[in-house]
Amino acid sequence: MKRRVVITAASAITPIGHGHDDITKSLTQGISGVKKIRKDDVLTDKVDAGVFGTVDYDIPFDFERRYRKTMGPVAFYACQVAKEVLAASGLSQSFVTSGRLGVAFGSIHGSPTVQRNIYKNFYARDGAGYSSIGAVDYLKSMVHTTAVNITRTFGITGRVISSGTACTTSTQSIGFGYEAVKFGLADAMLCGGADEYDTTTVAVFDNLLACSTDFNDRPHLTPRPFDVDRDGLVVGEGAAAVMLETLDSAKKRGAPILGEIIGFACNNNGGDMILPNKDGMTAVIRQGLECAEISHDAIDYISAHATATKMGDAIESQAIREIFGDRPMVTGLKSYMGHTMAACGAIETVMTLYMMADGFVAPTLNLEQVDDRCAGIGHVTELRETDIRIAQIQNFAFGGVNTALIIQRPE
Amino acid sequence: MDRETIKNKILTIFDEEFEIVNPGENEDLREIHGFDSIDAIELLREIEIMLDTELTRDEKKKAMDIRTFSQICDYVESLSADRG
Repeated sequence: MKRRVVITAASAITPIGHGHDDITKSLTQGISGVKKIRKDDVLTDKVDAGVFGTVDYDIPFDFERRYRKTMGPVAFYACQVAKEVLAASGLSQSFVTSGRLGVAFGSIHGSPTVQRNIYKNFYARDGAGYSSIGAVDYLKSMVHTTAVNITRTFGITGRVISSGTACTTSTQSIGFGYEAVKFGLADAMLCGGADEYDTTTVAVFDNLLACSTDFNDRPHLTPRPFDVDRDGLVVGEGAAAVMLETLDSAKKRGAPILGEIIGFACNNNGGDMILPNKDGMTAVIRQGLECAEISHDAIDYISAHATATKMGDAIESQAIREIFGDRPMVTGLKSYMGHTMAACGAIETVMTLYMMADGFVAPTLNLEQVDDRCAGIGHVTELRETDIRIAQIQNFAFGGVNTALIIQRPE
Repeated sequence: MDRETIKNKILTIFDEEFEIVNPGENEDLREIHGFDSIDAIELLREIEIMLDTELTRDEKKKAMDIRTFSQICDYVESLSADRG
């Protein structure tokens, strides 16, 4: 059984806004969501990075306490975008609870805020700390906290997939959800990813000398994917979700179709845990094209992973150049908001859907002078009013995981 | 700690921690207020703080049969008396 899979709803909470109108305004006006890092009592004074992609606006979390009690900030984000997508999809409550709707959702490691408090309690009270660990602390901090808070809050009883593969988490969520619907294992899948404000993640990348530090006093000028002056990634927060279902069911119930997923691939470099690998990238891109049964020249637009690290952007550019040359338009959307970790693939997918719908391509922000090592691909440096028919969203993660997701504009 | 003090402190905990305001003395907390096993564990933690003591495993197990506000007050009263 192979069924066509479409996206019938999408939503995102990002450093550059919440939902279609705010996000497209930022993308078309070149507004950055990168701000100075907030001081905390643990790490900010110990890391060199001084910026963060920050969600600094109010979000009306109005879940009842019985649902809220097991949510850390990351699950709040996840449940909010899930709520918006469920509402926008128009799926009936009886279908939502039927067992034929599943959830594919993840974060990089649950709620680090809650984990930090657990360890603070452990080590701050001379052995008396153990009993102070709350009954819900694990439920808030476990790696599948986003997925199961969504299922509990909305009564979803279908299959649960909770990928936790760092930067490829939510591309995998969408890809695995696509496969579940395509092959008849579910009739619809709510897919996405989330991550919360977290300075421990900053510390991880800071320690690897991968964080941007040259623009601490001018946050909006970093990250700078593909630019000669790029100096590393900026950690960010956010969440995004999409609803996937079969083309037939979407048509039957008259649901809005935002795009069709026509291909997905995932592989591993089989080697180094950190270094980007051109062979792995080109292989996953080719596998994605093969899955979609299209030629490389059918791709109009590439949402590059483009974290703005020196090596990552150069290797990714080589991979794009090898397969596509300079024909497709290429944007590094992290330039607007930093690297939202587990959420990035889903956020970049939602942004691509918005651009498809509205007929524009956002430029890579802060790309003033293309690094020679990143040249030879179709960099977009100014806002373009143009149609995207087929787009590829590519993401690469620590551990050598690579993903390519291909979506097509509705017919 | 006398019964009235215990009752008022538990009412405050219910209000602040569980968003349950003035539950009936003999209402089934699970049925009527959705007070589940996770909440029960959280309540035991609050009781430890309230009595400034650490409950034994057996004492905690006994609490798992409690269903009503009145039974909670009985339970805390008993713990308080045991600890002088």
